[in-house]
Amino acid sequence: MTQLGAEVVVSNPTSKKTVNTGTVFADNELCLPVKVFYGHLMDLKERVDAIFVPRIVSVVKKEYTCPKFLGLPDMSRALEDDMPEIIDTTINMQEGWRQYMKSVLELGSRFSSSRMKVMGAYKNGVTALRDYHHHMLSGKTPIELLEKKNFSAQKPRLKVGIAGHPYNIYDQYISMNLIKRLKGMGVDVVTAEMIPDSVIELENSRLPKKLFWTYEKEVVGTVYHWANNKSVDGIIYVLSFACGPDSLVQVLLEHELRKNNNVPMMPLVIDEHSAEAGLITRVEAFVDMIGRKKESLVC
Amino acid sequence: MSEEKINNIGYLGVDVGSVSTNLVILDIDNKVVASVYRRTQGQPIQAVQRGLEELKDKLEADINILGVGTTGSARYLTGVIVGADTVKNEITAHAVAASHVAPNVRTVLEIGGQDSKIILLNDGVVVDFAMNTVCAAGTGSFLDHQSARLGIPIDQFGGHALKAKEGAQIAGRCSVFAESDMVHKQQVGYALEEIIFGLCQALVRNYLNNLAKGKDILNPIVFQGGVAANSGMKRAFEEGLNMEIIIPDHFNVMGAIGSALLAKETMMLDDRPTNFKGFDASLIDYKTSSFGCNGCENSCEIIKIQVEDEVLAKWGGRCGKWEVDQIHAQHVYKV
Repeated sequence: MTQLGAEVVVSNPTSKKTVNTGTVFADNELCLPVKVFYGHLMDLKERVDAIFVPRIVSVVKKEYTCPKFLGLPDMSRALEDDMPEIIDTTINMQEGWRQYMKSVLELGSRFSSSRMKVMGAYKNGVTALRDYHHHMLSGKTPIELLEKKNFSAQKPRLKVGIAGHPYNIYDQYISMNLIKRLKGMGVDVVTAEMIPDSVIELENSRLPKKLFWTYEKEVVGTVYHWANNKSVDGIIYVLSFACGPDSLVQVLLEHELRKNNNVPMMPLVIDEHSAEAGLITRVEAFVDMIGRKKESLVC
Repeated sequence: MSEEKINNIGYLGVDVGSVSTNLVILDIDNKVVASVYRRTQGQPIQAVQRGLEELKDKLEADINILGVGTTGSARYLTGVIVGADTVKNEITAHAVAASHVAPNVRTVLEIGGQDSKIILLNDGVVVDFAMNTVCAAGTGSFLDHQSARLGIPIDQFGGHALKAKEGAQIAGRCSVFAESDMVHKQQVGYALEEIIFGLCQALVRNYLNNLAKGKDILNPIVFQGGVAANSGMKRAFEEGLNMEIIIPDHFNVMGAIGSALLAKETMMLDDRPTNFKGFDASLIDYKTSSFGCNGCENSCEIIKIQVEDEVLAKWGGRCGKWEVDQIHAQHVYKV
């Protein structure tokens, strides 16, 4: 969009204000990420002419994203009477690549009448995204990539896999600095983004029935992968309170891990009331547990 | 080292929780030399200081403390007050203590003032644990509240529960509904014993359905924490699980025992002098205050602990910029 001449404004990192604002506007039944999303919309509202809220229906054929994602543009419009224009480009891979490219061109046509320019900008965007994925595959977390900092654990004694949706685990406010906290405790952290898609697909093929939520499929494939090749000492599964798909997947994972009975997993449920103290206690206890197990330190 | 000297050394463990503050001194053989259990009453610093005095009075001879550990929800604060060598979470502390009293323990049920935990061990190593999340239904403070409402001192609660033939059906999902259920059962004429035992059963049901959900509860089972004093709860657990429950002698100070054991472990590995400030730490006038940070939109509340003008510790900010020192288990506290 920048290349096509638009000034792009990104909402500020999540803060207490974001969550509080979002909670005020959100229906109580909604999950935490949607409440946070509302907070970000309100942060942008007075500063922009339009807000880009794509309607992401499906990113892989025969699969869907979270049901709430489909409704985000409509929910955004209904938030307040004087909302800025919501640009709701539909991304629906169910309808195939042709339709997808049509959506891209339609979005681009808002900023430029030249199809060439739009395609050029799109290609650059895709390249940048590929680079980003590539960096993550090499073991960098988005937090490190975006902050251009490397805060690797010094001589890590343990390796923990963090499973969960990127918008939960990489949001430093929502996850209460989980990644940095673990690294500060001398724990190396790995996430789903460091595992190639092909591995995730392969792990999922062991399920008796295919999961049709793409984002949950990523979580399942990741945890199965870690559990099977025992490449981590423990798994922390971050899930948001009131997330329907997460609650189902949690049970699926617990069943699998009990069968394997080797890699411990701790579910960490977060909501807007989550106090930091409770999270710290659990994370500390979990790291102690896997550490003592590894060193066979009998209590 | 002479015999006399060996007898005069020990490790101190301090567990400061929401409801109680516990202190324990273990001798070189891990035997409890002295212990203190007192109410925190919302004032952790005073509770620790008065606890130290009480502990000192209980000692028959002077003892040389070689290491100090703190645990519980006020573990960092207490760490600064007493000069801790190790600051550990209460789950690890309880697990360490349980496997010390029952070396082959497989399951630890722990119910404290505001939280409850289940810890599963195998060969002395924690393999799984769970802690209550957003709801404190079924913990000590709810029992406390009900004992006050019924006018029966909490230490007699268990005795009443044991007299009941059967428990009244009480909803244990939520403490608010449990209370209205209890009131209803009283109004329709159930005996008090049945209601009290029914409450114990409801709390056990809640515990087993929430924390223990999907976990293999294996023998031997140790039940500890303040609520283990309630024999009605022990009975309800035994009937609910159809298994025998062991309540250790020092069930209500197990966190402190674990903390002392962890202090011993740390000091054995580290080979350095203790940070213990001595029993006279009870005389120091610690002041705590809080202020809001305006650095960003998170408006974190920062806690400051000081003696006169010297700031000992600050914490509470999300970004960590206020921390005087990174507070860590291995951290050395100095006045």
